[in-house]
Formats: sequence, structure tokens, C-alpha cells
Amino acid sequence: MRLWRKIRRTGRVAEPAPPRAAHDRPLAPELRGSVQLRHVDAGSCNGCEIEISSAFGPVYDAERYGARLTASPRHADALLVTGPVTRNMAVPLRRTYDAVPEPKLVVAVGDCARNCGVFAGAYGVVGAVADVLPVSLEVPGCPPHPEAIVAALRELTDR
Amino acid sequence: MNLAAAAFAAALLAAAAAAVTAGMPERRPVVAAGTRGGRRSVAATSAVDRRRSAARSAADRRRSAAGASSSGRWRAVVAGGFGAVSGLAAVVAGVAAMAGQTWSLDLPGVLPLAGVRLVADPLGGLFVAVTGAVAVAVAVYGIGYPAHRPVRAAVPLFVASMLLVPVAASVGTFLVCWELMALASLLLVVADHRRRPAVAEAGRWYAVMTHLGLVAILIGLVLFAAHAPSDSFAALRSAAGELSPAVRGLVFVATLAGFASKAGIVPLHAWLPRAHPEAPSHVSALMSAAMVNLGVYGILRVGFDLLGVGTGWWWLLVLGAGALSAVYGILQAVVSTDLKRLLGYSTTENLGLVLVGVGAGGMFAVAGNHLLAGLALVAALLHVVNHAAFKTLLFLSAGSVLRATGTRDLDRLGGLRARLPATTGMFALGALAASALPPGNAFVSEWLLLQGLIHGLPVSGVATAITMPVAVAVVALTAGLAVATFVKAFGVGFLARPRSEEAERAAESPPSMIAGMAVAGLACVGLAVAPAAVLPGLARAAGVADRSAGEPVAGAVTLRLTAVAGSLSPLLLVIALAAAVAAVLAGLRLAGAGLARRRARLWDCGAGPLSPRMEYTATSFAEPLQRIFDDVLQPELDVDVTHARESAYLVESVEFRRRVPDRIERRLYEPVLAAVQAWGRAGRGLATGSVHRYLGYGFSALTALLIVLAVTR
Repeated sequence: MRLWRKIRRTGRVAEPAPPRAAHDRPLAPELRGSVQLRHVDAGSCNGCEIEISSAFGPVYDAERYGARLTASPRHADALLVTGPVTRNMAVPLRRTYDAVPEPKLVVAVGDCARNCGVFAGAYGVVGAVADVLPVSLEVPGCPPHPEAIVAALRELTDR
Repeated sequence: MNLAAAAFAAALLAAAAAAVTAGMPERRPVVAAGTRGGRRSVAATSAVDRRRSAARSAADRRRSAAGASSSGRWRAVVAGGFGAVSGLAAVVAGVAAMAGQTWSLDLPGVLPLAGVRLVADPLGGLFVAVTGAVAVAVAVYGIGYPAHRPVRAAVPLFVASMLLVPVAASVGTFLVCWELMALASLLLVVADHRRRPAVAEAGRWYAVMTHLGLVAILIGLVLFAAHAPSDSFAALRSAAGELSPAVRGLVFVATLAGFASKAGIVPLHAWLPRAHPEAPSHVSALMSAAMVNLGVYGILRVGFDLLGVGTGWWWLLVLGAGALSAVYGILQAVVSTDLKRLLGYSTTENLGLVLVGVGAGGMFAVAGNHLLAGLALVAALLHVVNHAAFKTLLFLSAGSVLRATGTRDLDRLGGLRARLPATTGMFALGALAASALPPGNAFVSEWLLLQGLIHGLPVSGVATAITMPVAVAVVALTAGLAVATFVKAFGVGFLARPRSEEAERAAESPPSMIAGMAVAGLACVGLAVAPAAVLPGLARAAGVADRSAGEPVAGAVTLRLTAVAGSLSPLLLVIALAAAVAAVLAGLRLAGAGLARRRARLWDCGAGPLSPRMEYTATSFAEPLQRIFDDVLQPELDVDVTHARESAYLVESVEFRRRVPDRIERRLYEPVLAAVQAWGRAGRGLATGSVHRYLGYGFSALTALLIVLAVTR
């Protein structure tokens, strides 16, 4: 009952949806409208994770555009990879990618995932996500703003 | 002499032959199987044998215990054959008695003072037939099961004593047979007592409980017989009408306590989950599928047949004890991690359900609704038959697992499907039957029981109005938990990967053991698809208990209840279910045919290979249920944290222990045991060993007696 009162008192906190960006063609027409995402931390400092969780929080509310985080790659349509790919995570990342059913996409979130960021050349780093998996979408930023993540996800869902 | 009597005599003769064949002392020193236990048994072991056994090495002993020598094997085969013939003859005798071929036998010279009186009627015939059928499966199974010679010799004796109990027709005969049965089973329970201390403890519990039960029955029946011209059951039956209500109630309660303890009913069940697991597995099957039934037989015989139905509170008591056992038994079974202990608690549960039926039948009969009473009694008796079939199968396959792996701990089993395919199939069949779902046989009897309870509501009386809905809820809850229990036993015990080396090295049992299981499995399937075949006989057996019961269920393929609206067709249900499963599988195959397929690695979170330590164990499977029923089960948790020497903040090791104790045992038995012990210790102060003091006791006791006599006379 207290929860109910809290919900009523707080009301809606989600920011109004920004206008849809215009594309020439959607990235994956089969996934239009609903994309299930599996997040993989390939060696991130957890900055990107905080931004991803806030993108799925009540304020930015990415779920209203049809993007949803799942608990298993078997249920996923796309991978959300953060951080530079470390040596320990290279094999699990590839296996996770293999476990996702076709058609599948990979989103590299953050500068580290795009080009290893400050960790470039470190002894434990294999390379950027694109060196391990075919990346279809990149979100720049260190860490990226939740708005940027939501915009990238909207590009996937085309909503 | 008619067919039934001839078959019964043949059964006893064949059992004797089996016992003699199995019990003959061996000629060759190497094959004298298991003389260790022999010293304790009835089967005589010569002094020569004993000296040889002392000299023999442990390896020899193990080999001879497994029946490795050819002569030992042949003797086992012949003894098993005699045992099977004895069981078959008992089935024929029982079925003939149920079909109406009653016989009676009076042998005044056999026992001093009382003599022996045997009468076979349909009710006794039913229990003779069930015991015989279990004995067939057990005898065939016993050929290959590793057991010592005294065990092989005592099994037919145990069967014979169980066959005699339901046909005993006088108080003296009944009590002698009952005690013979208790002693034979006790001998079998303690067969392994040298190797495992738990066996000796189980044996002590069983010995004490079964004899207390005997004392209770003795008090009840002797009190009854004191008010009758003779101790034959016919005389008791005619004298029952003139008893005062108090005496009738006392007789019923005393015998109920004795019979309920034999049937493993809560709170007198404490021996059952100890003794059944510790006995050799085919003996567990005999005890759990045949011996406990005789407790139900005793209640039916004394409560219904001899005392005439009696009053309502008797049956309310029976129903309440049954409902309590059903729920408590299955709750303990669902959290149990020992395969045979789980099956033992499941016996308590099923016998509880039977007593729910018996109690409801008694209440209906007291209220005068004999059709419903007949329905409830037939449901209870059908459940006895069904339980005997699937519990034999389950205990025999558990024995096969025990033989192959040497462990009963579910948390150490697993992965047996590939290694023991036949045993796995048999256990799956038994688990399906025991979980009371439509293709299994327990479903039919529980359905009949529920029909009786639900339609019992209009029967007048406040007690009925309150009891029946509660009983329906109990049966439903029990059925649900039974499904969880057997999913756990089968899924954790047989599927997935082996959790220990023993399970990994398991090898399939010899064909004779599989054949024994197959006999029980066939009985399960037969009862599941055609229960109508046994129902007329059960109705006649229920007719002995409640003389105006009539036939409550009619029809060959479709069972139609005559008392109330309701029908069920087990055969069509099985066919429809099989067709539905086939259709769903075919549909999935068709739907998936056009899609592209890709072979992918098993998802293991991207990390290394999956190990057996990641599997669900019996403990973790039952954990949610244990949490839900926390208040009832009261599990004991024990966490031991060892800190490093340098700092209390560093942890060196953590030890976690959890057990679910039998709460009733804790609350009810331990205080009594402690009190008895304290009493004994206090009594020790009286006996100091001083002769003067003992003379003083004698003198003062004599004087006190004389004073009492002088005052009262």
C-alpha cells in the first residue's frame, strides 16, 4: 500500500521522448520495434554500466522504445559490449556472441569499447570490440551520456 | 479342501522349501555365505563353519556374500524359484478367497491352550494376494541381490508369517503370527549390523516399537476376548454387541495404537524411516509394500468386522491420524536426501492416505450411508494395492542403485540413466505411479478417495461437515508434494551428470534383479490401465468390513460410481495422454522442419566446462519447499566460521551444516527416552550390591503387604 501511495505521489518522472532521428534504412529490419539486449562487460571500469543502468531507469526509460535487457544471450537479439576486450574476457565474449541466435547485432558502448580509450596498449588488453566481433553500432563517450545510449538503442528498434 | 486352501498350503510349503534351500549349510569352505550374520539367525550354523569363517579373509567373504560361487548361485536360483512359486500360490489363494471360496481350518493340537484357527475370507484374501504378489517380485529379485545366507533363508519365513496373519481367526493364532512376522522382519533388519552402526540403532528402535505395538494389540484383544465365550474371531464378533461402550472404545484405541505403529502412522512412525532404509532392499520392499498393509488389515478387521462399526469419534481419530501422517510423511520425504529414507517416509504418507479412506468409510458407515462408506473403503483398499505395486518397484530399483553405487545419498548420485538404463526406466515408472498423476495407478485410487470425500459433505453431522473439506485439502496437498518428491528423487538421482566416483563407476544389475523389478512394473501398468479388474474383489473385501456396503464402482473400461455421479476411464485417459504427447512432439517436429538449424555450444556463461558441482542437488531442489514449510519442519542450521590467527576480520574456513530432524521424534520421543534413562539411573541407587540391603527390601515389602492385607481384609 505504501508503494502504491509512493507511485501515486511521485507520478511520472520519465523525460519527454525526444523526436525520432531520421535514418535512410533501419539497421536490422527483422528486429524493428523490439530488441532484447544482453550486456557483456568485457573489461570496463563500470562507468559505462552506470550510464546503461540509468538509461534503463525511470528517467530515460529506454524500455518505452522497445529495448529490453535480458539475462541470457539465448534470449537476446543484440549484445551491448562495454570496455576494452581483456585477455580473460576475449573467449567468453566470443562464446556469448556464438550463443546469440541469428539475426544478431553488436553495440559497442563507450570509448574503451570503440578504441580501447585510456587502456590502449595495456598488457592485459586484446583490443577494441571491433577486433573480436563484427560491430554494427558504436556509442562514443567516456562514459557516454544516457541520452546517447538511448538514441543508439532507438536506432536499433527504429522507434 | 477347495482351491483356495490348497493354494494356501502350497504357498506355505514352497516358502518352507525356499527357506530350507537357502539356509542349508555349505559344504565347501569358500562358499559358506555370510556366516557372520548366521550366528544370530534361526538357521543353524555349525561350529565347524564358525571356525572356518574366522579364518577366512575379508575378500573371500565379500565374494561369497555376492554369491560368486556356482553352487551358491544355483541354490539362490532354486530358493528364488521356490519363493516365486510360494508367492504365486499365495496370489491364487488370495484371489480365490476374494472370489468367495472361503475355507477354515481348526488345528487344536498345534498351539497349547488356544490351538490354531485359520479362516480365509475376502478381506484376508486381499492381503494374502497382495503379500503374495510382492513376494513373487522380491523372490525373483533376491536371486541376484547380494545377501547373506541367513537373509536368504529368513525372507521366505517372513513371507510365510505375513501370509498367516490375515487368515488367523483367533486371538491366540493372530498374536503368534503377528509376533512371528515382527521377529522375522527384525532379523532381516539387523542383517548388516556388524558393518554399519546405524543398522543396530535402527534394529533397536524397531524392536522396541514393534513390541510396544504388540503389547497394545495384546491388551486390546485380550480385553476383548475376556468378554467373549472363546478367543475365536467368530465368538468375538457375536460378543461385540454386548460390550459396554467404554470397553469397546478401549479395545479399539489399544488395537489402533498397535496397528498404526505397524503401519508407520504419525506419531508412531519413528521406527519406519530408520528400519526400512537399513534393511536389505528386497526386505525393505517386503516391509514397505506388504508388512505395513497388515496394520491397515488389523484396523479393518477389529474396527469394522469384530467390533461392528462403532462410534463416530473412533473413525474421526483414524482419519485425523491418517491426514497428519499423509502431510507429515510427504513433507519429510520432500526434504530427505537419502533415497531409501525418502521412500520410507513416502510409505508413511501413503498409509496415511489409506487411513483417511478408512476413517471416512467408518464415519459414513456410522452415519448410515453404506454406499459412500463402501466407496471410501474400496478407494482405501485400492490404494493399498497400488501402493504395494509401486513401492515394491521403487524399493527394488533403489536396491539396484545401492548395489551399483554403494550409496543411497541422492547428493552423491546422478547420471545413472546412461549407466543403469533398465533400473532408471523402472524407477521412472514407479515414480510416475507414486506421484498420483493420470497415467500412474495411484491416480485412480486417489481420485476415488477424493470422490468419496467430496460427496461425503451432504452426510449429516458437524464432524463430517468440518472434516471432509480438510481431508480433501490434505489429499490435494499431499498429491502436489508427492510430485515434487518424486521429481527430485528421479531427476537428481538418475539424470544429469554423476556427482561422485561411485555413481560414475556404476554398472547395471544382473537380469534376475531386473526381472524382479519388471514383475512389479507390470503390476503397476496393469493397475493403471485396468483397475476395474481388481475392483469387484476389493468391493467384496470391503463387504466383509461393512456388511451392507454393496458394490460402489461398476464398469469395465469406464469406472462409474454407483453411489454418486462420477465416472473415470483410466485406459482411455492413458491412450488420450499418449496420443496428446505424440501429437505435440509431431507438431513441434513439423513446425521446426522448415527452419534453418545451427549447432551451438551448450551455454555455460561463456566460462569453462560445466562441472557436476554446478548441478541441482537434492538439498538445493528441496530448499524452496523447506523454506515455505519452515515453521513445520524447523530445520537446524549450523554455521561455523574459523577466523585466521592474525585477525578476526580474515576468515580461514566456513562450515555450513543443515539437517531437518524429525520434529515429532524430538518433541515426543526424546523426552520420554530421557525420562526413562533418568529413572534407570535413579534406580541404580537402590541396588548397591549389599545383601543386607536386599534382605531389608524383602522384609519391608513383605511387612507392607501383610499390613495392607490386614487392613483391607
